[in-house]
Amino acid sequence: MNIIKLKGIRKHYHARTALKGIDMDIGAGACITVFGPNGAGKTTLLKIISGIMAPTEGKAFYNSRAYSESDIKKETFYLGHKTSLYNALTVMENMDFVCRLFSFKQREKSVESTLRKHGLWERRNDPVNDLSQGMKKRLALAKGFITDPKVVILDEPFTGLDIRWRSSILSKIKEIKRQGKSVIVSTHLVEEGCELADHVAFLRKGKLLFINRREEVDAKEIYRLFASTGEARL
Amino acid sequence: MKTDRTITILFFLLLVMMPLDFFLIFRVAPTEKVMGDVQRIFYLHVSLALGAFLAFTGVFVSSIIFLWKKKIVLDSVAGTCAGIGVLFSTLVLITGSMWARPIWNVWWTWDPRLLTVLILWFIYIGYFLLRGGIADKFKKAQYSAVIGIIGYVDIPVVRYATKWWNSIHPLLSQEGGGLDPVMKKVMLFSLATFAVLTIFLFLFRFRLARIEERLEILKKKMED
Amino acid sequence: MSFIGDALTILRKDLLLELRGRESLSLMLFLSLLLLVIFNFALNPDKDNVSSMASGILWVIFAFSGILGMGRMSVAERDEDAYLSVIFSPVSAESFYLGKALGNLLFLMIMECFTLFFFAILFDFEKIIGLLPQLLPALFLGTLGFSLVGTLFSFLSTASRYGEILLPFLYLPVVVPVILGGVTSMDMILNGKSGEAGKWIQLLAVFDMLYLAISLLVFRYLIEE
Repeated sequence: MNIIKLKGIRKHYHARTALKGIDMDIGAGACITVFGPNGAGKTTLLKIISGIMAPTEGKAFYNSRAYSESDIKKETFYLGHKTSLYNALTVMENMDFVCRLFSFKQREKSVESTLRKHGLWERRNDPVNDLSQGMKKRLALAKGFITDPKVVILDEPFTGLDIRWRSSILSKIKEIKRQGKSVIVSTHLVEEGCELADHVAFLRKGKLLFINRREEVDAKEIYRLFASTGEARL
Repeated sequence: MKTDRTITILFFLLLVMMPLDFFLIFRVAPTEKVMGDVQRIFYLHVSLALGAFLAFTGVFVSSIIFLWKKKIVLDSVAGTCAGIGVLFSTLVLITGSMWARPIWNVWWTWDPRLLTVLILWFIYIGYFLLRGGIADKFKKAQYSAVIGIIGYVDIPVVRYATKWWNSIHPLLSQEGGGLDPVMKKVMLFSLATFAVLTIFLFLFRFRLARIEERLEILKKKMED
Repeated sequence: MSFIGDALTILRKDLLLELRGRESLSLMLFLSLLLLVIFNFALNPDKDNVSSMASGILWVIFAFSGILGMGRMSVAERDEDAYLSVIFSPVSAESFYLGKALGNLLFLMIMECFTLFFFAILFDFEKIIGLLPQLLPALFLGTLGFSLVGTLFSFLSTASRYGEILLPFLYLPVVVPVILGGVTSMDMILNGKSGEAGKWIQLLAVFDMLYLAISLLVFRYLIEE
């Protein structure tokens, strides 16, 4: 059963084309990693999947319904390059706000348990501004746990993090995956990306070179593709 | 192509109508008793105002349809119309000023009609500023449609507000009496001429925008 | 019910944001004070002419401080794409808009009361405080118009690459009727002709209803990219 289906997606910006005809099926509970060099269109693709960006051409379906008539935005957690946090508010207030948006009944309880689980409880009264980059990312991701979405979209979740934080975020994403959510991650970290995925896609110059099951793809092949675009990441 | 033929026909039509219009305005229409020859500028002034009004209505209508149908071509229509509207309303303001100088002895007067045109002019300059500031075509179309609708809806409110406001201040403007029948006919012809001119300019500019777009698509295809 | 409830959630967040960040209201208040001083230097009013200038000065200050404050509020949403957490939630775009507009309305009203108070002191015009109950309807309706249009346009302009700089160019022409209505009705009340202010207050009410309706219709197009 496909939860999301993309058909012939194209996206033009003023002077360039970001996506040149993308077809994609995303199964419920599947985890897809989208690899690709900078400027390949990864961010555009993820924004279109999330529903905040409309494609220039093509159609997207969520649970077999056109995006405009579906609940895609209500049931998606999207984390882009920015954190979607209010920097002036404290950790607790950010979480509390999200709970209020979803009209949760027992806000205090769920905020406390989520913050404890993610090791943010001690910092609950600090403004987000005072947190380190890694902590911010962790908090941003923690929002995805509390709202219980069906689809989780993470655009370059490892960017700007050192190796310690990277593995911490990686294990969080794995946990999300274990909960049976559909996860779409874009990255150019081959190792982390492959570890997560059960499907691997490679995007280059706005086109999908392939989208295959993880077992059928050799990590070396992905390294080779990155190398051929002059952007190897080890 | 069908539009190409329409453009050609309109062009030749204008080739006849324009000189005839000017001939009528300057030779046939009787000289106004009080204002003298300067009054002739009025034929152009009013006609330009009609053109601007048609163009801004075009922006409004195509903006609404865009938000509904999401066809990017409607944004080209709106953009083209807005360009013509700004051009014509600029000319309305200039001709109005040229007329006001000898008649009212001022370059500018806070006449409600003139003021409404000025406010509109400001709104649509803002419209173009916004268009220049957004790279994503679809987003640009979406956002300018919102301005296109809001700006147009503002017209009647501005019109009333300025009218009431003006009634408190000492007024220079006075409504002229009934027009001489010949004057009326010249005015009608002039209005018709400028309506045709507006449509011609629109089709011409719109065709250009389409060609530019096609060129862009071809360029992109070559890149692929 | 949840429509209003959601709007109040947004409003609550904006109040909290101001409490923590002090980026919007406090800047507005400061600018108002500064403008009052500048106007005093520039116009050098005395006892006889201050009542004829008052409403003009005040509404210009309201308009400009308002632009500053509403621009800041939108920047706070766009920074770090914070508004996306609202977009990816069950809260509708319309509730989001309404909540933001209410927040802006509240901040503008506070700024205006503050400005009126300091106007009375700095321009030696205590009469204006006594007339406040009479001034209130036009003040409220005018401010509502400011915030309805300003919320929409500040969100719109911060999406362009010019950012909040674009706001006055879009906003000021559209709110001309509000400024005319506000200035004129206040002027009438201050100069003992309050009977004539009625139709201006009606105009402001019509403006508000018109823009509330349109904004609720179009706002959802502004949160798509």
